Amino acid sequence: MTSVPLVSVFSADDSSKVTAKHIPLPAVFQTPIRPDIVSFVHTNIAKNRRQAHAVNPQAGMQHSAESWGTGRAVARIPRVSGSGTHRSGQAAFGNQCRKGRMSLPIKVWRRWHRRVNIKQKRHAAATAVAATGIVPLVLARGHRISQVPQIPLVVEDKIESYEKTTDALNFLKRFGAFEDVQKVVSTKVVRAGISKQRGKKYRVRKGPLVVYFNENAKLLKAFRNVPGVEVVNVTRLNLLQLAPGGQLGRFVIWTQSAFAHLDKLFGTYRYTSIIKDGYQLLRPLITNPDLARIINSNQVQEKVQPAKTTKVLHEVQKKNPLKNTKAMDRLNPYAKKQRAAAVAAIKANTKGTKKIKKNKALKKASRAAYNKVAASLNDATKAAVQEEQDIKVKYFSVQKGAAQTE
Amino acid sequence: MQIDEVVWQVINRGHCSFKIKTISQNFCRNEYNVTGLCSKQSCPLANSQYATIKEEKGLCYLYVKTAERAQKPKELWEKILLSKNYEQALTQIDEQLKYWSNFMIHKNKQRLTKLRQMLIRIRKMRLKGFKELIPIKKKAERRDKIREQKALVAANLENAIEQELIDRLKNGVYNEIMNYNTKAFEKVVGQNQMEDEEEREQQELEEEEEDYSDEELIFDPNDLEEDDEEDQDDEEDDKRLFQKQTFNQLRRDNDEVKDIKKKKPRVQLQYEEEEEVEDRKKQQIAF
Repeated sequence: MTSVPLVSVFSADDSSKVTAKHIPLPAVFQTPIRPDIVSFVHTNIAKNRRQAHAVNPQAGMQHSAESWGTGRAVARIPRVSGSGTHRSGQAAFGNQCRKGRMSLPIKVWRRWHRRVNIKQKRHAAATAVAATGIVPLVLARGHRISQVPQIPLVVEDKIESYEKTTDALNFLKRFGAFEDVQKVVSTKVVRAGISKQRGKKYRVRKGPLVVYFNENAKLLKAFRNVPGVEVVNVTRLNLLQLAPGGQLGRFVIWTQSAFAHLDKLFGTYRYTSIIKDGYQLLRPLITNPDLARIINSNQVQEKVQPAKTTKVLHEVQKKNPLKNTKAMDRLNPYAKKQRAAAVAAIKANTKGTKKIKKNKALKKASRAAYNKVAASLNDATKAAVQEEQDIKVKYFSVQKGAAQTE
Repeated sequence: MQIDEVVWQVINRGHCSFKIKTISQNFCRNEYNVTGLCSKQSCPLANSQYATIKEEKGLCYLYVKTAERAQKPKELWEKILLSKNYEQALTQIDEQLKYWSNFMIHKNKQRLTKLRQMLIRIRKMRLKGFKELIPIKKKAERRDKIREQKALVAANLENAIEQELIDRLKNGVYNEIMNYNTKAFEKVVGQNQMEDEEEREQQELEEEEEDYSDEELIFDPNDLEEDDEEDQDDEEDDKRLFQKQTFNQLRRDNDEVKDIKKKKPRVQLQYEEEEEVEDRKKQQIAF
């Protein structure tokens, strides 16, 4: 893993200052990335927040409808009894009927929640935490982290005592996290659909997740009102927050104590977790997932048989040797020389014959004659044009004079 | 290097916010992508060793990313200014990306070429100017056309021209008043509105002199005078004139004004005295 085994802790006031250099990375960050586990766990855990709802059990059934049976030239669906209203005789009860009850009406005792094996849940959480330490995954998820000094971002515990939102905002700005907040603000949209009327008017993106440790921390209130920012205690890390939508790579800001607690929380590869009793981090199937590198390594290439060359039995497209010189040369290597000899022979034969010189004098004369004709034509056209113009002028002047005389 | 493989699997199979899928191809919206396509080789996220060319204010920079700085997004991209000389820039790329994969080197050079060509084009357009294509908005065009027609009608051009001519006459641009229609004239006199008469006469004059420019509408009395002098030399001519006048009067009294307008008018000039009219005042014609 190219995840940095050593991490710097930044000062809360100054992003360029480092309060603690080279803290070892908790083992969680080296867990293999398992999007399949995360996806499975997420889909199931997401169901646990649901509240029971149901359709009115009597809906569509509050009629004393009975089928008219056969012989009445109507379908056999139950029909509303009685008379004196439009409704009487209309179809009822069926899911296909107007005003009928739905098929398989929703019951309150639907299985709303899902249980997931604890180990799976823990593996998912561990993977999600690991993914927060991988820059490309955080970028791919859509967070704006190009100005953040380090991922994973660990800050001294001072931020836990922030009370004012301004402090929180300034902190985010200092560490390049404000761009992510701005993204959240600018992409706040009114939700499409009925949920608007059910208390979910806006669709808001997820911004940074701030993870703290001390229970007395006041930063919850400081960060509460910043759009997109969520605050959570390390001991209560939630997959739904670490991998929103089942997508790995949330942008997380850790406090120093929270970061240090991760080893106790998830354990390491040397010892199992203390808090998650007996939990051992997932071991990777392959320690080095870069297959290309492995295959091309010296150790493998030494043992590998030489690559089989594909024999070319014939050309893909047959070339005619009588027309294609290269094809000819392939068949008859002497053909090249034969051709050269032929050319030389021709040259030898024509040696001494005079070249037909172009009759320059004749050319000149013909050209002169042409020019003469062209010139005369030109003059003629010019004269014609001039004549026309004169006529025009005359005509109009006559007109003018006539007008004046009148 | 190790994690690249994993990252690519996650991004490609799962969700990448920079990926744009089309029917035929996948594109990458990431600003650092060399080719603009979504593939493992050209993914700036899935390659810890990566290089791009970007253009800023007419200058090309080489951005290089290495595995060592992978965890520090702020310092991730090293920005190297490339020479303005194309060939030197190519050698610079070769130097900076020495021992890198051929794909990376080649694509960077291609990108540099493309950017430079683009810059040349920009410069040319700035200097020469370029035709800006403006789309034709059907609805707007249709609307404006109709409005133009309406405006033309609303403008009352004829009335405006009338007024203009009357004003000109008032100002004395045309020396003489030409008497034409007795009926109309009487009306006008009765109503004490000289303007109507002039107006009509001017119109008739106008009609007659259709071929001429506006300037020539200005009636030059001097020209007229010459002819008149010829005509009025003899008594006979006088008689003839008088006869003509009466005849014409009779004719026109019967006709409506409109009809007269349609026919080609005969301008009759009546002078009280045989004078050379040099003063520019109006002369009342007693009838």
